[in-house]
This record gives sequence, structure tokens and C-alpha cells, in this order.
Amino acid sequence: MNVATFPMLSLILFLPFIGALAIAVINSVEAAKKIALITAIAELIATLIITFSFDAEVAGFSQVERYRWIPNLHAEFLLGVDGISVLFLPASALLTLITIIASWNNVNHLSRLHFALLLILESVTLGVFTALDMLLFFLFWEATLPPIFFLIGLWGIGAQRRSAALKYTLFMLFGGVPLLFAIIVLATNHATQTGELSFSFPELLQTPMPDNLQLIVFLLLVLGFAVKAPLAPFHTWLPTIAMQAPTQLSALLTGLKLGAFGLLRFAFPLAPQAAAHHAWIVALLGAVTLVYAALIALKQTNLRELLAYLSISHVGLVVLGIASLNEQSLQGAIFQLLNFSLIASSLMLMAGFIQQRFGSTELIHLGGLAKVMPKMTAFFFLFSLASIGMPLTSGFPAEMLLIIGVFKNHLGLGIAALCGAILGASALLMFIRGAFWGEITHENIKQVSDLRLREWLVLGVPILLVIIFGLFPQMIPLHQPFHPH
Amino acid sequence: MENLVIFIPLLPLLAASCIGVLHLFDILEGEKSERITARIAQTSIALSCLLALVLLGTDLFAKNNDVFIVGEWLKVNDLSIQIRFFTHGFSVKLAALFSILLFIVTRFAVNYMHREAGFHRFFFILSLFSAAMLMLVLSANAVGTFVGWEIAGLCSYLLIGYMYDRQTATQNATRVFITNRIGDAGFIAGIGLSYLWVGNTNWLEIGNNLAGQLSNQQAELCALCFALAAFVKSAQLPFSPWLARAMEGPTPSSAIFYGSVMIHAGVYLLFLIQPLLAHAPLVSTLIAIVGLLTAIYATVVGLTQTDIKSSLIFATSGQLGLLFLECGLGFWELASWHIAAHATVRAYQLLTAPSLLVNIANNPIKPVNAYLAKNTRFYTYALQRFWLEPLTDLIIVKPVQRLAGDLNYFDKHILDKLMGSPAPAIRAVSSLAQAEEQKIGAHLNNTDDSFAQGSGLAGCVTQWSAACLHWFEESFVLRGVSKDAIDYGRHLGRIANQIELMLLKPRYLALFVFITLLVAF
Repeated sequence: MNVATFPMLSLILFLPFIGALAIAVINSVEAAKKIALITAIAELIATLIITFSFDAEVAGFSQVERYRWIPNLHAEFLLGVDGISVLFLPASALLTLITIIASWNNVNHLSRLHFALLLILESVTLGVFTALDMLLFFLFWEATLPPIFFLIGLWGIGAQRRSAALKYTLFMLFGGVPLLFAIIVLATNHATQTGELSFSFPELLQTPMPDNLQLIVFLLLVLGFAVKAPLAPFHTWLPTIAMQAPTQLSALLTGLKLGAFGLLRFAFPLAPQAAAHHAWIVALLGAVTLVYAALIALKQTNLRELLAYLSISHVGLVVLGIASLNEQSLQGAIFQLLNFSLIASSLMLMAGFIQQRFGSTELIHLGGLAKVMPKMTAFFFLFSLASIGMPLTSGFPAEMLLIIGVFKNHLGLGIAALCGAILGASALLMFIRGAFWGEITHENIKQVSDLRLREWLVLGVPILLVIIFGLFPQMIPLHQPFHPH
Repeated sequence: MENLVIFIPLLPLLAASCIGVLHLFDILEGEKSERITARIAQTSIALSCLLALVLLGTDLFAKNNDVFIVGEWLKVNDLSIQIRFFTHGFSVKLAALFSILLFIVTRFAVNYMHREAGFHRFFFILSLFSAAMLMLVLSANAVGTFVGWEIAGLCSYLLIGYMYDRQTATQNATRVFITNRIGDAGFIAGIGLSYLWVGNTNWLEIGNNLAGQLSNQQAELCALCFALAAFVKSAQLPFSPWLARAMEGPTPSSAIFYGSVMIHAGVYLLFLIQPLLAHAPLVSTLIAIVGLLTAIYATVVGLTQTDIKSSLIFATSGQLGLLFLECGLGFWELASWHIAAHATVRAYQLLTAPSLLVNIANNPIKPVNAYLAKNTRFYTYALQRFWLEPLTDLIIVKPVQRLAGDLNYFDKHILDKLMGSPAPAIRAVSSLAQAEEQKIGAHLNNTDDSFAQGSGLAGCVTQWSAACLHWFEESFVLRGVSKDAIDYGRHLGRIANQIELMLLKPRYLALFVFITLLVAF
């Protein structure tokens, strides 16, 4: 099979859909789980094939597939990957596989729908990463909402899951509006420059654009992606989601930062001059988010909410890196985004394991967990270390690159980032001290079991990857994202 | 011969991962497998020690180059971080000394830790620490040194919290770790600045290229960042109190971490940036002053201590102050001898401390120093360790915590509402009657104007602006300037006053100054 000519991207887009359809047809929960698992494994293998056959030396996009879609608007079904997006494919496939295994036994009603929705969400997420037509991208972007809405509303663990689902959807719809505006402005600009409407991302990259229009497009795109990333002050949906949604979904949402990806992929390259002049706005927003969320994290008493704020704080650093516009910071940003899918999501899943055992992740209900669950503690501690950027874990090279890159362009914000990192680390360590160390505070803690085999599987693969990439960061084939001006 | 240097930190690291993984899978567990664990740890550090001595030998016969380059760890564009080791000079001598001390302590701990609950955990951490420390000393690249630096700090956290079910132990461990993070931030900033201004992160290049490339201010700033890291790691003022907190761990770990090996990492860092300090007279002076103050502080406080570990640790702190003074004044040769001598003596003292207690039991208590006995006030100061820790709490920890509390409130109660997100139904409806009432749209006891109701951001903005305009018209335009308007004005004024008062609180003032400084860069 020749990978270069075989429509691999269409395959990975439609494979989970086929899996979801099969689940809909077969009326057996056990079979549905197995189908979901097999589909997710097949998907992971397919994305790995794409990643390994990707040739970094070829400029532009590879694996390009082009089909007619809406001829009247000159919108095409255009797919492709480049150095920025190719690594996110296996990351999201792995994350989906892990969440499917993690939710194997803890979904008791409508299980078939749950697994089908997870697969559909995987499919549209991969669509976001691979779409090269702006309209198609927007379609996939908004298509992530329905599965997430139902996943939160139907299987949420908080009492207010319905309103949380509504909140998430409203926030994302609000974020979608400026994106659509920006896309329309880009397309009409292409029409005025060349006389033909176009939504193709590679073509729009070449289209010249007047400076004032660039600024508008840049700000609209930043606003749209900032809601999804999330950046302060649009971040309030994430803590709510972390508290209300099922933890496997929170893990997916903290693990895959579509907003930061959007900034990296679209906002900066599409309006290069405006980006170069006004990147400081985004950098400032990132730095404020970083410090603000880390400070708030200090006051959290619930593990899931704490992880949500820490994740916001880490996104702040990534966005600061993206806005610093140099090779080190951009590659650090991609590296860190990939790390999220291993580290932040694993921490969130572990919060789910704790929730499953005690019915709570509130600090007051926990204490002395290390005594009864030494292995869970070891894993949690290792992932926490990775999350605060300890050497020998993959968090370290990523954070190192980010900080060095940020220092180049924004020295002061870099120092603020370092202060924020101290705050974030102390928030996490203080929670660990209260929950895991110390004496056993409640009788029911003594009765729980340590990690089960399924949970070993869920945590084992990410921790191995975290340590391998930490020791040998060159193993992640980081490609040159784009050349800043 | 030179390429063997890579095995000096690698062997203990392998031993650590071996013990760690086997312990995680319950293969090394309980008293039966103590011998295996001990053997793995001992063999690895013994071999490392041997290699370090061989390296020292070949260096003394002048057979070695300056550095040995293993390969590239990370390369992005012009940033290239190499794995490279010193094979010549002070680092090799220090590595040999430290590896001997590490070997002795490992051997000592085999008996000392026998039948302790966390035997395997202890040797896992000790081996990891040995690897980190040897990496720190031998690495010829700042990032490599930092890796060792961080891992050593992590091991110290794990050993202070060795008795993890004791409240004080874990509290101290967390505090020490967070204090150390401040220094680590300084270290990273130093690395970032040296890459920014020198384009390299190798110690020799940082040293050699400085004179030509860096302006004085840049050299001072870069040196200051590294000096901050050194101050924290070697417990100089104002970071000294963490050292006393670190005494929670088992004795062998106290000996190796805070008595002899890790505590000297800060001074060693000064040795590494020695060429940089030559161009940074201000920072050198600062180092000398801080060292002198620490020496005085530790001596005075040490005079009032009544338990053996505390008095030893304050003595250590005093000696380190002297070392910093020597480095600040430029007596590098003296300082290098001082490090070696101090590390050896202090390791011996801390290891023998428990047996010393047995030997001197029932001896009469030594009277308090005559000067201190006369000046009771001064004695109280010393006994309270000059309130250094409560002071840090007051100046930094508490304001940050309060600021965090304020922001948390702002985030949950103000920002969330500003965003106009829908409130959960539970909050809005408190009784069945109210639910019924809402269903039929009666709003019987609802006094506000519910004509325009919106949800979502845009909806709320519209609703608010309508309400505001309505209020404005109602209270000002329609009624004219009457008593109501004056009342409202007063009310508004009061709120404004409150906000201003809040903003004048020190934590906000400090925050604004900090932000201004950052933006000014």
C-alpha cells in the first residue's frame, strides 16, 4: 500500500464514524465497547502510519486530498497535514483510546451512545486538525459541540451538569462567531485581490492583504480561539466543565487544546504583518492568564477544579510562547501541547479514579491516600512532576524551550512566567500534601483498592512516553512550524 | 578513558530506576529483599566512585582534555544543548570527593535503615540523588547542571517527607521544595539570559565569551540570576530557614544532603560562574555581604540551639556563609579547600551524631554563651531565629495567599457573572411554588423589571444596558436632581472609596509595582 497516494486522512476521518454506526446497529453493550476499542486502536495505528510516513523535508502540505464540496462557494473538501498538525493526530487518537479504556466500566446508562459519541468526537477533532479549507475547518470546529454537549449533559458527575453543558455550548458558540467573521473577511479579501472566492487555507496564505484588514482578521481569530484555549477572561467554562462533566471528557478537553492549536495554525500565519506588530497583545493575554490562573489554583480545594486552573495556567505559557514568534518558543509550544495530551489528561483521569473510589475529589474527603494506594500515589506524583516541568520528564524540555523562546522577545513576561510556574507548582504540591501524605483521615479510605489492571493500562503508556520524551526529546520529530517575519 | 565519565552519573541512575521499577511492581518488597536493594545501590555507587577516582588519576597525569562531549540532547535552530562533561579541573576533584562520601553514606545507611518501613524507597531516592549530584558536578553544560540541581532538590523533598504520614515532615518538605523552586526559577532565568546574550549554554563558553560580548549590566543581571539560585540552594539569607526544616529526614540523608554534599551545590555554582563574576563586581559584593551576614546570623542562632542536629546545621550554615564570603571576595583557591574540608568533616559529624548522643548522655549541659546570657533580649532574638520565617510569611506568603483568595472570589462571583453564562436551575428555583410560579410566568414577588430578559453574553449586555438606562432615566432625568440622586451619588462614592481602599492595600500596591516593572522591560 502506498501511503502517499492512499486517502489516509479520509480513512481516519470516517473510520470512527463507521465504528459509531456499527455501535448504533448492534444492540449489545459488551459488543459496542469492543467495537469502540477496536476502532480506536485501528485509528491509532492509522494515525501512526501517517506520522511515520510524513516527510518533514517536503515543504507545504502532504497527504493532500481534494474533493468537490460546495462548488458555488468554491469551498472544497480539502484535507492535508503539515509539521504543525501531524503530531496531533496520534496524540488525539491515543487520548481517545485511553478515555475509552478509562470509561470502560463507569458508564452505566446509555453506554452505547456514550462510546459512539466519543468516537464521533474523535472524528471531528481529527477533522479540525486536518481540514485545510476554512469552511470545512469551521464545520468541524462547530461539530465538536454536539457530542460534547451530550457527553456533559448525560453522563456528567456534577449536579449541575445540564447547565454546564449549556454554558460550554454558549461559550463556544460565542467564540465561533468571530471565527466565522474572520473566515468571511479572508475569503472576500481573496475575491477582491484575485477576483475569485476561495476558502482554501494554502491559497489564503499567499493572498496579499491590506494592513488594516489584517489587524481585523488577526483580532477576530485571536478572540475566537481565546475562548476555546481558554485564555482569561474567557476561561470560566473550564473549571465548571471539570466539576460537572465526566472525567474522561474533562481529560479530553484539558488534553487537546484546540484553541492554542488554532492560534498557532491560523491566527498567526494568516495575518503575518498584523501578527508581527500585535503579537504583544496575545503575549500579554497569555502571561496574564498564566499568573492569574496559577494564583487562583492556590485557593482550590477540589482536585478537578485545581487541575482545570493549572491547565489554564499552562495554556497561558503556551500562548505566550506562540506569541513570542521564534523557533524555540514555537517548537516548545507544540511540544507542550503534545505533553498536555499525556500529562494533563492523565492527571484528570486519575482525579476520575479517585472520584470513583470516594465519590469526591474534595480535599476535605481525602487524606493519607499514600498509605492505602502507594501505586496510585506514585503515578500521580510522577505526572505532577511532569506537569511542573521536572527534568527527566517531557515537561522539562518543553518548558525550557518555551522559557528560552519567551526570553528572546519578552524578557519581562518571561520572568512573570517563571513566577507563575512557582505558584502553580506550589498549588499542586500543597494539594498532594493534603490529599496523599499525612495520616488517614477517614475510615472509608482504608477500604479502597490500589490501581486496577485497566488503570495500569490507562496510565502506563503515557508515563512511559513522558519519560522517554523527557530523556530523549529529539525523538519527537519537531518540524519547523512556519517562518516568522 | 575519558568516555567513561558518562557512566559516573549513569550507574546510580540505572540503579535507581532498577530499584524503583522493581519496587513499583512489588518485586522488591519487605525485609527479605533488603539485601538485593542494598547490593544494587552499593555496587553502582562503588563503581561510580572508582570511575571518578580513575578520572581524577588520569587528570592528575594531565591525560584529559577539558571536556568530553557525548552528543546533542536537544537542538532547535541555533539553540543546541549538548550532553558534555568536565574531565578536568575542580569539578573532577569534587566529583571524586562527593562520590566517596556518597559511597560511605550508602554503606552506613544499609545498617542504619535496616527493617525501616521505607527501606527500598530510601535507597531508590539515595541512588537517584547520587546520580543527580554527580551530574550536577560533572556536567559542562548549564542545562545538565540544572537537571542534576532539580533532581537533587526533588530527592531532598522526598527524604524530608520520608515519614510521609507525619504532618510536620510533609509540611516541611513542601515548604523546602517551594523555597527551592524560587532558586530554580533564578537558574532557568540565568540559562535563558546566557543563551540570549552569549548564544550558548556551555559553562566554558559562557565564561570565555563574556568579556567581549556582554556589557557590564548584562553580566551583572546574568550573574544575579545564578547567584539567586546559589543563595537558595546553599541556604543563605534570607532563605536560610529552610535548612533547619530539612532536618526531618533520616540521619544518613541529613548527613549527605544538608551536611556535606547538596548544600555545597550553591557554592559550586559560584565556581562555575567565576569568569562571569569577574565582570560583575556588584554581584560579587552582594555575595560577600550575604555570606558575611549569614555567617553572623547562623553563629548567633547556633549558640542558642539545644539539640545536636540543629546546632550542627547552624554550624553548617555559618561555614557556608564564610564560603560565600570567600567567593565574593575572590579567594577561590581557599574556598575550594574549604569546601572539601567542610564536606568531609560535616559528613562525619552528622553520621556520628546519634552515637555521640549515647556517649555524652548525662554530661552536664553547657552554659549559654556569656554575652547572650547577659543580653536577654538578644538571646530571645537568637532563640526565635530572628523571626525570619514569620517575616517571610508576612511579607510574601500571606499577601500572595490573600491575593489568590481575592482573585478566586473575583473569578467565581464576578467574572463568571460578567460573562453572562446561564445560572444552573438549582440556584434559581428554591421551592416548588417558585417553580410553578415561573412556569406560569407570574413572578409574584419579583420586584425588578422582568420585561427584557436575556441570556448569554449579548443578551445580558443588552439587558443590563437597558436596565442602566432605565435606572438613569428613572432616578435622574425624570425626578430631576432631588434627594434620591444625592443618595445615589453618596452610595456610588462610598463604593468608589471602598475600591480605592482595597487597591491601596500593600498586596495590590506590590502587584502594581511588579506589573509596572515587568512591562517596563
